[in-house]
Amino acid sequence: MAVETTPAVVELSIPSRPEFVSVARLAMLGVASRMQFTYDEVEDIRLAVGEACTTAVGRAMNANKTNAQITIRSEILENKLTIEVEDKVGRMPEVTAAAAPPESLNEENLGALLMELLVDEFTVEPTAEGGTRVRMVKYAG
Amino acid sequence: MNLKMNTRSIDDRASLIDLEGEIDVYTAPNLKQQIITLLDSGVRHILIDLTNVEYLDSTALGVLIGGLKRLRERDGSLDLICPNPRIKRVFEITGLDKIFDMYTTEEEALDKMRAKEGK
Repeated sequence: MAVETTPAVVELSIPSRPEFVSVARLAMLGVASRMQFTYDEVEDIRLAVGEACTTAVGRAMNANKTNAQITIRSEILENKLTIEVEDKVGRMPEVTAAAAPPESLNEENLGALLMELLVDEFTVEPTAEGGTRVRMVKYAG
Repeated sequence: MNLKMNTRSIDDRASLIDLEGEIDVYTAPNLKQQIITLLDSGVRHILIDLTNVEYLDSTALGVLIGGLKRLRERDGSLDLICPNPRIKRVFEITGLDKIFDMYTTEEEALDKMRAKEGK
């Protein structure tokens, strides 16, 4: 079978409100389930996407910008899933999760730590619009 | 998505919170409020049953850590019943399995809690 080189793209946009994070998780569960991921890997992706959305929702609530949209864009190749979670609600603060003792971690640090541990590649960058883009890559097989 | 919460008293100073569903940024505030309500009513030992929890995230972990700290400050405890390996894994990869006392069955957890109460 020829290896696909053009990714299939699934994009979703949700309001920056807590009740919509589960919608993004469910959608990514559906996407990941179609690929060659193990059951545990699918769960890892669900949690990582949930964490990326949760940090955006947290910043949106602090900035009183819960009407701003969060975009979840996934690029699907045969054995590679790339997920970008982009918001317009400010920059994600830098976290130093790995060095901290577990009991001293707050929710933000725990979220970043989980994302780092659950996917193969994890980067955070500010966007030109003053928001944050979280990029995560997970390889299947 | 929903989180069902059922709280029952074990004795004057101990309660069990039985959870079912998903604990995330939407539902975790309800759990936090319940822990605070129990603390304010004089409960010092809380057992949280995660057997029927099918998803939890950093918000849930934050609430549990906060509850544990508050209870330990008052010589209390917050222990977990967590037989589900997938949920337990979230505690393991974050190192929080070393902070919480985690049990597989309610019976085992209650035995340990009674021992702590007797201290």
